[in-house]
Amino acid sequence: MAVVDVHRFAESITCHAWSPDHSMVALCPNNNEVHIYKSSQDQWERLHVLQKHDQIVSGIDWSSKSNKLVTVSHDRNSYVWSFEGGEWVPTLVILRLNRAALCVQWSPKENKFAVGSGAKTVCICYYEQENNWWVSKLIRKRHESSVTNVAWHPNNILLATTSTDGKCRVFSTFIKGVDTKDPKAGSPAESKFGEPILQLDLSYSWAFGVKWSPSGNTLAYVGHSSMIYFVDDVGPSPLAQSVAFRDLPLRDVLFISEKMVIGVGYDSNPMVFAADDTGIWSFIRYIGEKKAVSSGSSYSSQFSEAFGKFYGQSKSATTNDASESSKSRGGVHDNCINSIVSLSKSGSPKVMRFSTSGLDGKIAIWDLENMEEELGHQF
Amino acid sequence: MAGTIVEADNADGIIMRIETKSQKIESLLKQYKHVEALKTALEGSPPKTRDERCKSANWIVVHRAIMAIKDIDGMLIALDVEYYDILMKYLYRGLSTGDRPTCDQCLKIHEKLTERAGLGCILRCLTDTVNTV
Repeated sequence: MAVVDVHRFAESITCHAWSPDHSMVALCPNNNEVHIYKSSQDQWERLHVLQKHDQIVSGIDWSSKSNKLVTVSHDRNSYVWSFEGGEWVPTLVILRLNRAALCVQWSPKENKFAVGSGAKTVCICYYEQENNWWVSKLIRKRHESSVTNVAWHPNNILLATTSTDGKCRVFSTFIKGVDTKDPKAGSPAESKFGEPILQLDLSYSWAFGVKWSPSGNTLAYVGHSSMIYFVDDVGPSPLAQSVAFRDLPLRDVLFISEKMVIGVGYDSNPMVFAADDTGIWSFIRYIGEKKAVSSGSSYSSQFSEAFGKFYGQSKSATTNDASESSKSRGGVHDNCINSIVSLSKSGSPKVMRFSTSGLDGKIAIWDLENMEEELGHQF
Repeated sequence: MAGTIVEADNADGIIMRIETKSQKIESLLKQYKHVEALKTALEGSPPKTRDERCKSANWIVVHRAIMAIKDIDGMLIALDVEYYDILMKYLYRGLSTGDRPTCDQCLKIHEKLTERAGLGCILRCLTDTVNTV
């Protein structure tokens, strides 16, 4: 079985993040607080309660090198917390937003963090040594609706966003004095701050989770229309694929290798997607089930002509014999899973452990160690 | 404004195509090729236009094909999965008419189609506000 540990922390969990050594978890129990738990002898012990926000905490991220927590909330503010003398000390970051902050992520080098918001903007925050102050720089262009998720490219410059206008966008977040120029000339990372690199119009409905593959070569994001989108060669001529699946939509994704992705969402059972040798992505199976679903149970449309014309072009069409919904299988989660977090060292090419949290208030830890055979050669 | 003029020209072209399609469907139905007729009706849908006339015209054709279906299971087996999403959209259009026989038929197909294509198919139909039928 892939699940190692499941614990119910609260009525509902909006988001969670792990400490660098993965011994502690910070989570928001659907209110204005952040709780930090430590695992000791099969028990979860609550160590700290961080009370500073006025409204629901919508995003938490824990930096692995500097051991700093960043939280964002619907109260439009963000705090960076550092652990000093046994206490978590908050530093207010003024985001300059007029709507709720919805998500946050530290950049790979941890010198910046990105906040998505309901104000159709993305804030890139960085530390100014002289003023001992976190500065927020806004990307106001382009987004026509709330920014639901952000994901950093491993190069620390490119940022992917998803929005409820259905689009996935990639921006440059180059900040003078914080980032150094990439020696490789002509790379998109050279663009100036806020420059849109790419806009993907694959989805007609809300887009939610977005992630880069470990190498940064592939981008995956999900839409509210029970579709997942994969984009290779991010740049002027991207290669995009849309994969439709038969069950409820996804909320978040995680690459566990270059060729395999876990998607979580309203179906409350994580789904595995993988690319075959020719690079075509398809639904493989649910992670919490023993028997593999016949490969025909999803149908994907593949096209290589850039974005925007994906609809109804499916080639790999095989009729599917209906299989029962995952609900009846008695999964680990009983409600929508809204986030999936890697439990591997940042930058490692494969993710063997990850955790999921959702509206049922549970955090589940999954280990893929013994699943390699089941998941096949792509892993 | 230029956009709307092009749209109008385009719309007439689409109506012409739908008329041709309609004749083809009638002849297919006479030969008892119900699935072929439905495929033909769904082909090229949704019309890439906001023009309601085109959408209505195409719906009349699709409606004709849907109502002719007797063996729903057989039809779904014969129909390629790529048509499932668009068929679902037309089923909802059928249900929205409130017409008794149409709703009866659409509900029957809806049940079978959901069994085969899953809830994802319904979600794709409900969330797509751009390519409406």
